[in-house]
Amino acid sequence: MKNTRIPFLYMACLLLVGVLMAAIPAADNTGYQVGDTARDFKLKNVDGKMVSMADYKDAKGFIVTFTCNTCPYSVAYEDRLIELHNKYAPQGYPIIAINPNDVKVSPKDSYKDMQVRAKEKNFPFPYVYDETQEITKAYGATRTPHLYVVQKQKDGSFKVAYIGTIDDNSREPEKVQKKYAEAALDELVAGKAVSQPTTKAIGCTIKWREA
Amino acid sequence: MTVYLKQLTLLLTLGLLTSTATLAQEVTTIKFDQLQELRQSPHDTLYVVNFWATWCKPCIKEMPYFEAAHTKYKDQPVRVILVSMDAVQDMEKRVLPFVQKRKLQSRLYLLDEPDGNTWIDRIEPKWSGAIPATMFFNNKRGQYEFIEREISEKELHELINKYKP
Repeated sequence: MKNTRIPFLYMACLLLVGVLMAAIPAADNTGYQVGDTARDFKLKNVDGKMVSMADYKDAKGFIVTFTCNTCPYSVAYEDRLIELHNKYAPQGYPIIAINPNDVKVSPKDSYKDMQVRAKEKNFPFPYVYDETQEITKAYGATRTPHLYVVQKQKDGSFKVAYIGTIDDNSREPEKVQKKYAEAALDELVAGKAVSQPTTKAIGCTIKWREA
Repeated sequence: MTVYLKQLTLLLTLGLLTSTATLAQEVTTIKFDQLQELRQSPHDTLYVVNFWATWCKPCIKEMPYFEAAHTKYKDQPVRVILVSMDAVQDMEKRVLPFVQKRKLQSRLYLLDEPDGNTWIDRIEPKWSGAIPATMFFNNKRGQYEFIEREISEKELHELINKYKP
């Protein structure tokens, strides 16, 4: 009797630890740092199709952007994301936009609402939903918008080359002086090392699923 | 002389802030240096500094807890300060109406620094930039805690009770 109960308790403890760890939202120390290998994903786009980085045979990398419908910072950057995609997709770096927000906590970030927004803005890039938040946690995204520029390696893996923000002024695009993401992308395209590989900005916290 | 002047400025600033705080619903626009000065405040006081914005839903959800704490610990060395991340251009149309509607009583600042990349790491390297975020500190006692997420009312009171002099 005793012999069977101890492993059970042990298992229960392990399970509890697992549950507790899963409940802790991704903090700054978890997730990817520049230089890490980013995992691929298979997430549902607004057109109903599944999207993975591996689908893009010719891409040199990606601008993986965690963004959403509801955050005013994300909305303020929508047009600039479209511009960024239109400028860098032809150079090998398309955008894949990922909505990380839990629909119960943020109802307007539902898949349906994503479809509506993508249509209204005519996004030229996929807008996929990380419903389980698994990818968001793996990357370590904490806010929207939150960019990860990854570069495809010879072995087909993706190396994180830039983590951060788009530019230095979310509110007034006409006052932007430092285009952080573009600077990083220009260096990557030119085959140079990224001189400022991480930047920070204020953004909306990701709406984590409540336990 | 410069030290004396600096102290005088600080005293004047503090005096000014104390007097405006009682009038309520005034929002002082500050730059990073003033935020840094606040962070380095040498007094034996627990500072609870919450970073929020009118557009941030979880911030608005937790705001009543900070307001209640401000009232509850008013006569103790505890200062609750709400620092808005709204753009300074939105002061008249968004921030002030919000503050008036909610009759906010805590000390209110608006940090006019649009480029987070120039200052977030300088105030807290662990901060990714998501709001809400809250700092607890008492520099006299070398106490500091930083939380980058929504806080519960219970948690807020536990932290205040843990650190208040």
